This record gives sequence, structure tokens and C-alpha cells, in this order.
Amino acid sequence: MSFMPDPGTPLATYYAETQPMVGAVLSLRNVGVLDAVTIGRYAMTIGATDPIHHDAAAARSAGYADVVAPPNLLAAIVEWGVGTPETGLQPDGTPNDGETPLGDPDLGLRVMGAGEEMELVNPVVAGTELMIESTLAAVTPKQTRTGPCVFVTTLNTFMSADGTVLNRNRRTVVLRNPLQES
Amino acid sequence: MSINFEVGDVLPPLKHTATAMQLFRYSAVTWNPHRIHFDESYARDEGHAGLALHSHLRAALAMRCVTEGLGNDWQVAKFAYRLRRPVYAPADLAYTARVTTAEGDSLTLELIEETASADLGFEGTVWVNKTAGATP
Repeated sequence: MSFMPDPGTPLATYYAETQPMVGAVLSLRNVGVLDAVTIGRYAMTIGATDPIHHDAAAARSAGYADVVAPPNLLAAIVEWGVGTPETGLQPDGTPNDGETPLGDPDLGLRVMGAGEEMELVNPVVAGTELMIESTLAAVTPKQTRTGPCVFVTTLNTFMSADGTVLNRNRRTVVLRNPLQES
Repeated sequence: MSINFEVGDVLPPLKHTATAMQLFRYSAVTWNPHRIHFDESYARDEGHAGLALHSHLRAALAMRCVTEGLGNDWQVAKFAYRLRRPVYAPADLAYTARVTTAEGDSLTLELIEETASADLGFEGTVWVNKTAGATP
């Protein structure tokens, strides 16, 4: 028998509320245009010095229409556009924006990244207008060495405005109840 | 002329020290308000041993090991990874990629992150293809 959180715990409540949504499209959003400054800053921050990330001429001579994003930039951006006002953030700072269901803040669950599978279908270049479709792919309770938790996987498909798929990412986060950790 | 790779080849390791400054800038550029990455007292209250590195930052560093080790004649088609433990800044990290399959214009590499104490931080698999313009 697979692991289930103890009845009545915040993890059990979260699982009961979220598991029936598996397969549902959580959101389909137009998040605006990815600009060259964001690409250049991202590359600089991770230490990627290849000029294709910040010099349009270098990118064009390498065959791209404009500066090209490092492979996981789209996956890494948490909030697009102006983002959530501070008063709308959860106590740990995370926005509950529909990309990954994080549960009612009163449950007190903590979230961390656990892994990802990224399919990089087409290059991501500056000036692309982006759409993101998020589907809830899996909600799986597990007992780990630090206590019970629930792994949540969303399939995030990034497309340009004309529907061309850029990235197909299966992102997994882990939710824990700090009061149940060993 | 592009370099050809064989099963067992190991790319030059990427060694990197992740600092609190880098974490702050990574949070800023990804517009990530999660406090465990920039608010150390909050992170410790939540049970962390310090400021936690973003999983995506660790993945980005790992990808650099592959893209810089292979050069522009190769493009990443797919990347999958699983975190084995959290890592806290400042952190000395080493990323190593080893070719596990080499068929035609495609390679598969196993990728690991090791901490200064040689613990496995995460492990992943990368699939790459030779770019159309690459010389044979």
C-alpha cells in the first residue's frame, strides 16, 4: 500500500483538496514579451558569458534572431509581468498564482523545488511574446527521511503567441509540514 | 571542426562558489519573492541551515558545465534532474558531466553536483544534439 498522510494533518487536507484536480489545466496565460535585458541579466547572474546571451550581433551570427536565453530561463522565472503585491504574498514570500497549487496558507505548508524535466523544443530569443499553459500532472504523497511530504508536478508548456512550443517542462516541488519533520 | 565525444568522456568540471549576493540577484532577475533564498533569519526559522540555493540556479550551473564543455556545436534538447539535498550559501560546488551514450549526432550525459564535503547535491541526465550548422 502506498503512503498516505495521517488523516486530519495539513498534508492530508492538501492532498484531499488537490489530488482530484490532476489532469486539469490550471491556467493559460499570456505573460508578455521576453526582453533582451532579462536574458542578459539572467546569463550574467548564472555566470554564462557566451555573447549569444547579451550581444544581438553575436547571436545573429550564431543563427538566432536575437539574443538567446540560457536553457532554463523560462523555467526559472517565478513571476511574470509586475507580479504579486507584497500584501498578496504568502508568509514565506511565495505567490499563489496558479502555476503550482500551494494550498491554503493557513495549512502552514512549506515548499521547495525538487526537480524538473525540461524539453527544449525551440530556442527562446528576445522579443518573443510568451504564453504559458500549466496542467496539474501529479500529486503524490511520500514518506521521506525527514518526514511525510507531498510531491506536486505541473506540466508547464511555454509557447510563443503563434502557438509554437518553446519548452515543455515537468516541474516538481515538495510540500512539507514543518511540524511533522524529524 | 567540432570535437567528437565517446562514451566515458568526462567534460571539464565546472567549479563554482555560490554566494548570498548571487542568490539575491538570482531572486531579483527571476522575480522570485520566496524568502528562504534572501532572508536568512526567516530561512533558519523555517529549519534551513542558511540561505537555500534556488533549484533552478543549481540547474543553470549544471547546464553551464554541459554547454561550455561541449561548445556551440551542440544544443541541449532535454534535461532532467532531481535534487538530493538542499545546499546553502556560501557553497563551493562542482558539476561533472560524463558521456553515457553517443549515437550519430546525439549524446546523453549523466550530470552530478557535488558539495565541498563530496555529498551528492543533485543528479541529472542531459540529452544533446549536434546543431545543424556544426561541422562533421
